[in-house]
Amino acid sequence: MSLLIQCPICGRRNGYEFRYGGEDKGPYPDGPSISPAQWYDYVHANTCRAGVVREWWCHRQGCGLWFTLFRDTGTNVQVSAPEGEQ
Amino acid sequence: MFGMKKILPGFAPPLKFSYDAVLIGGGLHNLATAWFLAREQNMNSVAIIEKNYIGYGGAGRNTAIVRANQRTRENIPLYKEALDLWPVMTRELDFNLMFYNCGNVNLLHSEAAVKAARVNVATARLMGVESHLLDAAETQKRVPALNLSHQITHPVHGAMYHPPGGIVRHDAVVWGLARGAAENGVHIHQQTEALGIETENGKVTGVRTSAGTIATPRVLVSAGGYSAGLIYHMLGIKLPISVLTIQAMVTQPLKPLLNHVVSSGAYHVYANQTLKGEIATGAHMDPWPNYTTQTTAGYIKHQAEALIELLPCLAGVKFMRSWAGLADMTPDMAPIMDGNDPVEGLFMNCGWGYFGFKSCTAAGRHMARFVATDQCPDRLKPFTLRRFENHRLMGETAALVNYTPDN
Ligand SMILES: Cc1cc2nc3c(=O)[nH]c(=O)nc-3n(C[C@H](O)[C@H](O)[C@H](O)COP(=O)(O)OP(=O)(O)OC[C@H]3O[C@@H](n4cnc5c(N)ncnc54)[C@H](O)[C@@H]3O)c2cc1C
Ligand SMILES: [Zn+2]
Repeated sequence: MSLLIQCPICGRRNGYEFRYGGEDKGPYPDGPSISPAQWYDYVHANTCRAGVVREWWCHRQGCGLWFTLFRDTGTNVQVSAPEGEQ
Repeated sequence: MFGMKKILPGFAPPLKFSYDAVLIGGGLHNLATAWFLAREQNMNSVAIIEKNYIGYGGAGRNTAIVRANQRTRENIPLYKEALDLWPVMTRELDFNLMFYNCGNVNLLHSEAAVKAARVNVATARLMGVESHLLDAAETQKRVPALNLSHQITHPVHGAMYHPPGGIVRHDAVVWGLARGAAENGVHIHQQTEALGIETENGKVTGVRTSAGTIATPRVLVSAGGYSAGLIYHMLGIKLPISVLTIQAMVTQPLKPLLNHVVSSGAYHVYANQTLKGEIATGAHMDPWPNYTTQTTAGYIKHQAEALIELLPCLAGVKFMRSWAGLADMTPDMAPIMDGNDPVEGLFMNCGWGYFGFKSCTAAGRHMARFVATDQCPDRLKPFTLRRFENHRLMGETAALVNYTPDN
């Protein structure tokens, strides 16, 4: 699947240089009181949206940076942040 | 090929204002569920809502492999029941499903793989499923074209041999089930998109579709790779699913050379020879979710390289077609079959990944019982969605998220 990804450090590179790290679910749920449901939500649950999704990626075969980006899962193309998000 | 409108004649009933149950998605699982609802549960006011045409999804794209040598005690009986149902369904539907029980040979490429297969074989036998461990020489007797050289990337150490499995014609299953369901009063609405599920006080009351709103107390979402996105979009419920594309292809027809379905986890490839003589082969999944169903040149190259190492006589053979479909992967490689939780009247049957063809008859039969009676059949109980938050993942795969192609 052809995919070009913009690494914040290295610029535009072939998608196969990167590792997909899942949907961006915000900060790690911390503290002694997190419930099984919160844990499930963070570890396993996905929106599986067909559309623009904010995701984690790692430039595994490059600089090694972890970063977030927006990608349209319907077209498999990286897109800029929707209005109101960054 | 997949873009064409294919409305089958006789499948355009009028949309009623209400049904006893509405099934979203016209794939194998809902067609089977509908058939069993009508035949075994006497539910005759049932509608299937299909956005494109029946068989548009994985139902018409899979590589048709069936087998029952899964890994765990919860999964094996379900797949065994499904495998045993093919001859029965052929008779009941009066439709030639072309079940070809040629057996499956799972190649093993290391001592560790042989050890792991021992556990699989023992578990399968314990559950009454025929399965054998073969050494390299015995494997070659089964697959004479196989390359036993030690000079290849992953030399063959042996195989797991499962005689009762094989292949079934997937289109015939779609057509046979659809015809059977329609003859038993099920309304199949093609070119009709489900847009939303309506609820009141935590109970399902209806389904909004592109052809109007239908009142119903029961909705079953079983829309293959689209299920998780639909359930989140319609009800805000997130599932532990990643939707990946999986690719497959067929070669030109050849003289008989493969007597079994052959698969290899290490090479990421499986192959079988269809009754027409083509080698149907596949397995590659792109490692990030997307809904494009696009194929890639890189994968065709990979497939050719892997096949030529394992079966050198295939060098020079041409690929005729390649295609892709969606696989909804769960972290434990086992499906989610659940209902009435957290919404009363909402049922789901999804997360089948690339195992949703071989299982469809048994899953449909049990889902029909569940939907008709509100009682979850014992066989389905381990497949609840809550297993993930309760840390009760199934052992269908030894390592999470690392998907293997041992179809
Ligand atoms: C290349 C490939 C090879 C495979 N090989 C095998 C194999 O060898 N053995 C095996 O067991 N399994 C295999 N599978 C997996 C199997 O095909 C799927 O698990 C199974 O088909 C999914 O279930 P289904 O048939 O019920 O759904 P699908 O056939 O995927 O049906 C989903 C349907 O829902 C419809 N839909 C989507 N959104 C809406 C909406 N909003 N409203 C109404 N309808 C909607 C779609 O149009 C589609 O027709 C393979 C899959 C692929 C892609
Ligand atoms: Zn980089």
